[in-house]
Amino acid sequence: MSRQRTLVAGLAAAVALTALSACSSSAKKTNNGDGGGAKKDGGVYTSIDANYQITAGAPMNPFNSSPNMFLGYDQMRLGFDKYNPLDPNDLFPGLAASWTATDTGLTVQLQPNAKWSDGTPVTVADIKTSLAIAYTQGTAGPVAGAGGTIVQGTNFEVSDVKDLGGGKIEIDQLPGVKNLYFQRLVLSATIVNDKVYSPQLPADIWTQIAAVQGPDPAAAKAAADKLSAEGKTIAAFAPAKDVSAGPFVLTRVGPGEALLDRNQYFFAVDKVAPKQVILRHYTGNQQIWGFLTNGELDSSPYTSMPTNIADQVVKAGYTRTDAPSYVSASIAFNEKQAPYNNTAVRQALAYVIDRDAVTKVGEPVGGIAAPYTTGLIGSQTDAFLSSDQKSALNAYKPDPAKAASLLQGAGFTKDGAGQWHLPDGSPWTITLQTVNGFSDWIAASTIVANELTAFGIKTTPAITADFATYQKEMGAGKYAVGWWLTALGPQTDKAYNRIYGAADGFSVVNGKATHSDTSPANWFHTPATYTVNGQTIDPGQLTADLSVTPVADQKPIIAQLAAATNQELPMIQIWNYTKVGFFTEKHFTNFPKTGSDALLLNPPGVWMMQGYIQAK
Amino acid sequence: MTGFARRLAGKLLAGLVMVWVVVTFTFFLVHALPGKPGDVQYESYIMQGFNPEEARAKVTAVYGFTSHDPLFSQYLGYLGRLLHGDLGQSVYYSGVPVSHLIWSALPWTVLPVLTGLLVSFLIGVIAGVIAAVKRSSRWGGLLSVSGSLVAGVPSFVLALLLLLVFHTEWHLLPDAGTSDITLEPGWSPEYVGSVVQHAVLPVISYALLSYGGWLLAMKSSVITVLGDDFILASELRGLAPVTRARYIGRNAILPLFTVLALSFGIMFAGSFFIEQTFDYPGLGELLLKSIGVRDYPVMAGAFLLITVAIIAANIVADLCYTLIDPRVRR
Amino acid sequence: MAATAALSTRLRNRRPALNAFRKAVTRKPGRLIGLGIILFFVLLAICGPWFYGSLAVDPNAIYAAPSADHWLGTDFAGSDVFQEVVVGARYVLSTAALAALFTSVLGITVGLLAGYHRGFLDSALMRVTDFVLTIPGLPLLIILSTVWSFGSPWQMGLVLGLTGWGGVARAVRSQALTLRERGFLEAARGLGLPSRHIIVKELLPNIAPYVAMHLLLSVIAFIGAEVGLFFLGLVPFSSTNWGVMLNQAVFSGGAMNSPDALVYLLSPLVCILLLTLGIVLFLDAIDELFNPRLRERA
Repeated sequence: MSRQRTLVAGLAAAVALTALSACSSSAKKTNNGDGGGAKKDGGVYTSIDANYQITAGAPMNPFNSSPNMFLGYDQMRLGFDKYNPLDPNDLFPGLAASWTATDTGLTVQLQPNAKWSDGTPVTVADIKTSLAIAYTQGTAGPVAGAGGTIVQGTNFEVSDVKDLGGGKIEIDQLPGVKNLYFQRLVLSATIVNDKVYSPQLPADIWTQIAAVQGPDPAAAKAAADKLSAEGKTIAAFAPAKDVSAGPFVLTRVGPGEALLDRNQYFFAVDKVAPKQVILRHYTGNQQIWGFLTNGELDSSPYTSMPTNIADQVVKAGYTRTDAPSYVSASIAFNEKQAPYNNTAVRQALAYVIDRDAVTKVGEPVGGIAAPYTTGLIGSQTDAFLSSDQKSALNAYKPDPAKAASLLQGAGFTKDGAGQWHLPDGSPWTITLQTVNGFSDWIAASTIVANELTAFGIKTTPAITADFATYQKEMGAGKYAVGWWLTALGPQTDKAYNRIYGAADGFSVVNGKATHSDTSPANWFHTPATYTVNGQTIDPGQLTADLSVTPVADQKPIIAQLAAATNQELPMIQIWNYTKVGFFTEKHFTNFPKTGSDALLLNPPGVWMMQGYIQAK
Repeated sequence: MTGFARRLAGKLLAGLVMVWVVVTFTFFLVHALPGKPGDVQYESYIMQGFNPEEARAKVTAVYGFTSHDPLFSQYLGYLGRLLHGDLGQSVYYSGVPVSHLIWSALPWTVLPVLTGLLVSFLIGVIAGVIAAVKRSSRWGGLLSVSGSLVAGVPSFVLALLLLLVFHTEWHLLPDAGTSDITLEPGWSPEYVGSVVQHAVLPVISYALLSYGGWLLAMKSSVITVLGDDFILASELRGLAPVTRARYIGRNAILPLFTVLALSFGIMFAGSFFIEQTFDYPGLGELLLKSIGVRDYPVMAGAFLLITVAIIAANIVADLCYTLIDPRVRR
Repeated sequence: MAATAALSTRLRNRRPALNAFRKAVTRKPGRLIGLGIILFFVLLAICGPWFYGSLAVDPNAIYAAPSADHWLGTDFAGSDVFQEVVVGARYVLSTAALAALFTSVLGITVGLLAGYHRGFLDSALMRVTDFVLTIPGLPLLIILSTVWSFGSPWQMGLVLGLTGWGGVARAVRSQALTLRERGFLEAARGLGLPSRHIIVKELLPNIAPYVAMHLLLSVIAFIGAEVGLFFLGLVPFSSTNWGVMLNQAVFSGGAMNSPDALVYLLSPLVCILLLTLGIVLFLDAIDELFNPRLRERA
């Protein structure tokens, strides 16, 4: 018996010790001074940052790939993208109060009172360091094939940052490079504190950048390697404390939540009502649903949810907001595999699949059944196509008779049991591939399979273990029919590049697209050209053209691509995602509502900067 | 005592060899997994609404931390760094030391597991004795069945049921996190109270999970000992009941050390079910998350730590066993 | 001589096994209920899929409440939950049965060999057993689940068995070790009986209670593990089973927050609980059957 007691005592001691170590390891001394009276001074705003699950131990460094750093709260930019498909260079002011595009670059006027949370002003040095870091992180330069023409590309190419005095800054684009989106790309670069980050950078960083941009390819390569090595140091860097130029500053990160206090030096601090922000950790959507149904959040980011939960959330006092999400779930075909190389077959399938029913099961709240398959989401189709062009599109309303006649026309036959047979006489079966973790696709697959099976094409859904394998096997042409995200926007060239890009064997050199059916990345395997309305078009070239065409001149190109995609159906767009968010006015008022797309696509910190979210 | 020391040394050596085997096994297993960390992330960034260019930039940053060396030299490098206590750098958290992530998560697994073990040990052993002594009565039988049932029910089933009752239905206890973030960590009663409040459900789950094990082990052990010849002999010889109880207790509690090691291991290794259900950010959740994002170094590190914990527990249990049962020492 | 007497009583007691079994099971109603539950689920697993071949879907009746048409309501796609429970039983049970088979064959063989022979063979086998025991099975499974397809019960059962036999082996060995020191084995050895005879005829019957209990308990553990893997959504699934249902209910249906999906969550939960209860109740009978001491004193 005595041994038992010893054991118990030992266990107790172990527990006590662990408790001690657990608490001491997470105990950080913080002095808020004026705790307690939180309510009268704005109160606490609770939300979720959808970008990262909070992890104790992750650094407070926006260049880390999963940081404890929250865009719009303590992570700042010069401006915040409005995701405006009609004007890609349209931004909300951030640290920049205003800006003017010039022939050689951009002139930026900083916010007159822009200060860091340690009270020091935001200066040109901060901007310069931050843009240099962008080079180490691969968001800036180097742009290949720049020859004085407009370049496509997602990277900006800055040659110099000049202080014009009075908070005015000139940011020069590398001479000879003209990126249509230079303004947006520069303004949405993350701005960090020079004093914190420049010790992590070599003193000659801009010499390295100049070498990368220089004419000597060997020197450029060497400098690029050096930059990317420095990028790793920057990404892994863990600052001891948060120095923020945003409306909030990170006070502490617990294992389950992050606490941010209002930055008293923020340039528009009078607009920011909440005294504190709590961002909660989550591991899955169901946790966000729980927070919402319990009324624990002031606003929620986009969360996929079933209808019963959405109803429950509204019942808990929340208002729903809808904004377009520039992405769409599609069922794509590998046209190398018969019978999917036959346009009539793809069209017939589009007539069989009832997209409304599928969406109802797959993404009942956060999805809208795609009105057309154009390669763009619905609102973009509306914005870029004239009503004549739109009415010429085929909506592929469910029509089994039409599907049957298309199939019969293609030589398919239906037997007595209602099963369709391929022209060679063998029964037609489909394996609809989807991937683990995409629960909306999986749920939707059951409906699609059911509809197709009921129509007479025996369909079974199959699930790949993880996305990486899915992508690899899809690329290797192993799946004939599978789910795929398309219509990535808001830029239309990105959306079409997703289809008529590398995945379809197109590659672009100096603005000229070439098509290779045998390219290893090619799995769409569409023909190199389409014939639409009697005209031969080259979708790869049109997509390449799109990326170097200002938005104002894009309409004719988009019209051709949309019509071709709608007719040829390299994929069937099933639903377009919608960013469904929720807010409650329990503690604060003046939330952005449905219709304010630009705001709703940004995090609440940006709303607050713009004067939204006021104390009740 | 030198025999004991030699045995200890032998055990430790065997443990080290085991760790090496596990390290090797884990390393190659983890590197045999398909998929690059970046690939997984790109689509999820897109789904979250990042611009394709932002998503690509983030993925590039992740790729930077994926080693491209040949596998075997990666393995040697890994072993070498391990000797210095370096578990490598996380890929998903671009470059953050794995050990840092693990140390941040570890207390939130160890603390509830040990507390749960302690609670269940006390209750389970007592219940086990009762169940053994009263095994022919209805209550004794019920007690045994309760133990087996609780031991048998999968942890996530228990956790889900607890959550349904205490959080969803009664709103009594929180369903996520370790404490209320507005409270400053420290020894303040509010903070400690909040930690305790958040830990209640995980601890109850761990306790329930191991309770059945203690009960059943103690019960069968007591029954075995009760039937042993020497107890019968002592009964016949008319030894005092206290002495007899000591004999019984000493001999009956013996097998529990194996149970201790096993249940510590089981709970430690199975912690991800409970942590996932309660969103409790311990080692199990870290492991699950690292698997989800294909963060190989973190995966290997977390898996290794769990294994080392089990090895250590086994050694301790084995030594205790040796100390107590002379028969095994021979 | 007392030892040989004990030996012969033991043997005599075991001979009319079926009779003893019937007696043990019928002694308490709980055990009968347990057996009944197990048989019920086994029947369900065998016959269930005959009744409901493929599940119908109905996008207009998602998470419908229980009704005459749908006894347990419907799921995310409007499929009948009751049918899903029935259809899903086969995968769960066959996997557990296969895993138990692999476990017992491996575990008993290794444990008996090691426990009886000791020496080098023991050391070697125990190193392997230690390794299997040390590698944490569940984390290993979740890592493996990203590489292997667990679509068929054979694959899942094999992996579960391969990761799960260590406990049985160790229990068998330690029991064998203890028995080895007991009188009757020495007596048998003294009588010059061959090792094989001692292992199979003397050790095995005495170890049987441990193995049987371990096996039934590990069946429960296997069910927990496989269902858990599906619950966490780590394993791609091609057809429905209880784990998939749990996963869908919690992570897609919001059963923790919405009453609509609650039945969908509870149905597989209750099945798992019932099955566990059945095994546990039945275990009591096995326990008594192989543990004569319980009987003597009862």
